[in-house]
Amino acid sequence: MDAILNPLYSFVSGVIVLIHKALTPIFGFDSGVTWTLSIVGLVVLIRIILIPLFVKQIKSQRALTALQPHMKAIQNKYKDDRQKQSEEMMKLYKEHKTNPLASCFPILAQAPIFFALFTVLNGIAAKTDAGVSAPIARGFLKGEYLDSAAQATFFGAKISQSFLGSTDTTVKIVTVILIFIMSATTFTTQRQLMVKGMPKMDSSNNMMLQQQKIMLYLFPVIFAVSGVNFPVGVKICWSTTNLRTAGQQF
Amino acid sequence: MRTLIVAFINLYQKWISPAFPPRCKYYPSCSSYAASAISHYGLRGVAMSIWRLMRCNPWSHGGVDYAVDPTKTLKNIDKTIVGVN
Repeated sequence: MDAILNPLYSFVSGVIVLIHKALTPIFGFDSGVTWTLSIVGLVVLIRIILIPLFVKQIKSQRALTALQPHMKAIQNKYKDDRQKQSEEMMKLYKEHKTNPLASCFPILAQAPIFFALFTVLNGIAAKTDAGVSAPIARGFLKGEYLDSAAQATFFGAKISQSFLGSTDTTVKIVTVILIFIMSATTFTTQRQLMVKGMPKMDSSNNMMLQQQKIMLYLFPVIFAVSGVNFPVGVKICWSTTNLRTAGQQF
Repeated sequence: MRTLIVAFINLYQKWISPAFPPRCKYYPSCSSYAASAISHYGLRGVAMSIWRLMRCNPWSHGGVDYAVDPTKTLKNIDKTIVGVN
């Protein structure tokens, strides 16, 4: 497992350290701004790497207008059989060598990178059983960089601290605000996706709609509950991802 | 073991997947494919599912791709129903 994860740790920590190096002349080595922007920068970079994929997807979505009559015909032909409908739809996409769907692999490929990012950031926040800060070095985030990161602050709260792990009021306030941002952005993004998908929904999809509705309210709750344990650094990264996804919807 | 993995896939389909827009380029979706492949072929089904996920990438054109030929399974169901009758 380490053989797979170590290169990922190196990649994630390497990018953070590089961005930190680039920003040090502007904001200073130990500045919280430098560290916050390094974390945000990594999220942005991953997104930039993925841009060609989105462009490809948008192109094939545009190509769909030409297929509109065919799609209508399929929808009419198999009005009462949604399974047959989607089967024929997939056949049509393949025939015309265009497919508007995003595919499953990219999200699976991203998951290990985000896992590595969480582990690296959690390493900064590591503590001994007695509660003394004892950051764990992973990849390139070591030595003076690790010490500096462990002390860096975000709006006055150390990025290495979590809601439950700290008695500091500032940390509590900052974590609560970040949890709120995470929940709110997830909620709005999901609701917009739901509203967009609505015209396609009919009575046969009622159960799916019902589940979607439950998830709509469940996700913010999950964030609120699990969020109390994540250090501020992890939450910054998470909120950036969420804000970007929410921004994309408009 | 097979039942356990399939149960996890069902859990994903029921509770996680509805929260996101549909993304799979194939019919049936990668998760349905995995569920039927694993319940029919066991370990070989796991390999088939991984290969399917790899194929469901931005450069593929998708299409209809069953793990288990549906015409065969339908015939089997017919047979058993006839047998019961």
